[in-house]
Amino acid sequence: MVKADAVFPEEQHFILSTLSPSAAQKRLALGVVCAITIVFGLITVGPFKHVHVERVDAFVPSYVTAMFVCDSITALLLYAQFAIVRARANLVIASAYLFAALVMIPFILVFPGVFRPDEGLMGGMQSTSWVYFFQHAGFPLFILGYGLIKDAPPARRLRQAAASAEIGVSIALTGAIVSAGGLLFIKAHSWLPRVTVDAMHFGALWWYPATVVALLNVIGIVVLWSRRRVALDLWLIVVMFLYAIEIPLSYYPDPERFSIGWYAVRGFGVLASSVVLMLLIHEMATLYARLLGAVGAQRREREARLITGDAVAASIAHEVRQPLTAMITSADAGLRFLDRPAPDLDKAKEAFRLIATDGHRAGDVVASIRASLKTDPAKRTALNVDELIEQALALERSDLQKNRIQVKVEPRGELPEVRGDRIQVQQVLLNLITNAIHAMSGKEEPKVLSVTSEAYEGAGVLVSVADTGTGIESQHRDRIFNPLFTTKSDGMGMGLAICRAIIEAQHGRLWFAPNTPRGAVFQFTLRGDAIVAAPDPRLSVSRASSTLPVFPACRPS
Amino acid sequence: MPPPASDYTVAVVDDDENVLKSLDILLQSADYSVRLFASATALLQSGCLPQIDCLISDIGLPTVDGFELLRLVDRAQPGLPIILITGRSDMLDRVPAGGAADFRVFSKPFDGGALLAAVGLALRSSRPGPCRG
Repeated sequence: MVKADAVFPEEQHFILSTLSPSAAQKRLALGVVCAITIVFGLITVGPFKHVHVERVDAFVPSYVTAMFVCDSITALLLYAQFAIVRARANLVIASAYLFAALVMIPFILVFPGVFRPDEGLMGGMQSTSWVYFFQHAGFPLFILGYGLIKDAPPARRLRQAAASAEIGVSIALTGAIVSAGGLLFIKAHSWLPRVTVDAMHFGALWWYPATVVALLNVIGIVVLWSRRRVALDLWLIVVMFLYAIEIPLSYYPDPERFSIGWYAVRGFGVLASSVVLMLLIHEMATLYARLLGAVGAQRREREARLITGDAVAASIAHEVRQPLTAMITSADAGLRFLDRPAPDLDKAKEAFRLIATDGHRAGDVVASIRASLKTDPAKRTALNVDELIEQALALERSDLQKNRIQVKVEPRGELPEVRGDRIQVQQVLLNLITNAIHAMSGKEEPKVLSVTSEAYEGAGVLVSVADTGTGIESQHRDRIFNPLFTTKSDGMGMGLAICRAIIEAQHGRLWFAPNTPRGAVFQFTLRGDAIVAAPDPRLSVSRASSTLPVFPACRPS
Repeated sequence: MPPPASDYTVAVVDDDENVLKSLDILLQSADYSVRLFASATALLQSGCLPQIDCLISDIGLPTVDGFELLRLVDRAQPGLPIILITGRSDMLDRVPAGGAADFRVFSKPFDGGALLAAVGLALRSSRPGPCRG
């Protein structure tokens, strides 16, 4: 079974609006509600009660445009969120905002004085108020629907295709509702109860539908309040509060259009339409910052692990260089004592003794490096090889994507439990994958990196990292594991040598084979503890007798 | 007739004891008098700077490194020839360019003959002859 791209586990979803609101958010929401109440008080009973404002005809189109744009964007973002979360409650909220946006179309068509003086482009005198009621009753009904189903036990999550279909259905339904309502209030305007007395003033009848609308909003607030859980609920309560408070403000202090109360209602409308939008934008900005942080952290982690190889190489180079310097210097001194017309044998002997001492010291350095690669038994843990492969590929993901490399992960059946040093085995995987990426980076597509894992000789695991890159030229094949052999201009050639040392310290083996039709396959084995108990596991498996491809130098002659 | 090499004193500063010993025997093979120091501070505190005709110092020294020593010695003993040696190739990039001090840099491992030649050249060009303090 080929699980292409399955290595990148489905991302955890961090939809902030579905998290509990923070204390700061709660305070802010309370502050907004208080501010609205104060404005309401100032206009209805306070000093602004008698302020007279001019009629500005251009105000209505700008107001409608602002509402339409805000609500459409909010709806779009909420649909996008639904596509990720795939919970129906989110779909209902998205539909509510789509409804709020679409209902602005009949609203502007029937508003008197926008397209024609003192009358709407369509409908009659009653149409405007009824479309307004339609909007202010429809929206809380959607919100009520959301409130009632949001805590329903999450049934199976919708499949992606099903989610797309539901979005389509929701948009079509919402469009149909708005069209039906709009047509009703335009075509049947002469049948509508007379809630306005002229193009400017509301009549006494206005209060009956308005009360129903206000009640719906209050019920919406109560339902959301009793079930408030997440940040979205909190801010929807604020929106409903704005919707509810619009009703008395439309009538007091003056029951007419273009009064201070009427303008304030429009302002509240725009605020109501942008509250959730701001929440979503805040959410996106926060997520974006987190994403950048996470990408950076991942890159640093990967570099930290890759650098280890070079750091080991550099420290080996430095540690060996000192005794080497001393040996060469003493040898030069010894030769000079012997080259004298009367050779100073005592001094020459002293020089040779120094050389011998330094030679032993260099040997100790090499031995200590080998010992440091030997794993501390405490670090040997049971390894989930497939998980290590997945993690290594995740760390290399950005490079893989940048080079447009297709990844195939092929776990072949159940793996026996193997033990080893997790970090070191991961370093080997990272090095092999990085080499594979380098080998394919300049090549034509298809570029395929396949990483397979399978059981090996009973208690072991065999991991293969295969690429379709440049491969290893035949004259290099017996040297690629030699320290200081490299085909890269910026490499020290220690990578594969260290990888092999690490794997051998884990009682495994690492070898290379050409891939077909092109590229290279690096394979390594890891063993369970049963075999580790053998006196020298590396001797227990003869490389020459192995059926697996090995380097020419090790082949039986 | 040039003065005998044994009239010249060469000081060596390196924190690696074996490198120090090997340089000791190399300089002895050319008949120089040798003073060995495990650190720059040891050299500066010994008070024998005025008796030294040439200084060989490692760059990567603890506390006071070779570059710092170069500056200090250049102030205390202007004109003293200095040869820096280093085991780290990245140190070569940090060598101060065009300083007042007269110095050469060798990277480890170096050729013994080349180092001795550099010492000889430095001694000949720095002063007409050894002067004892």
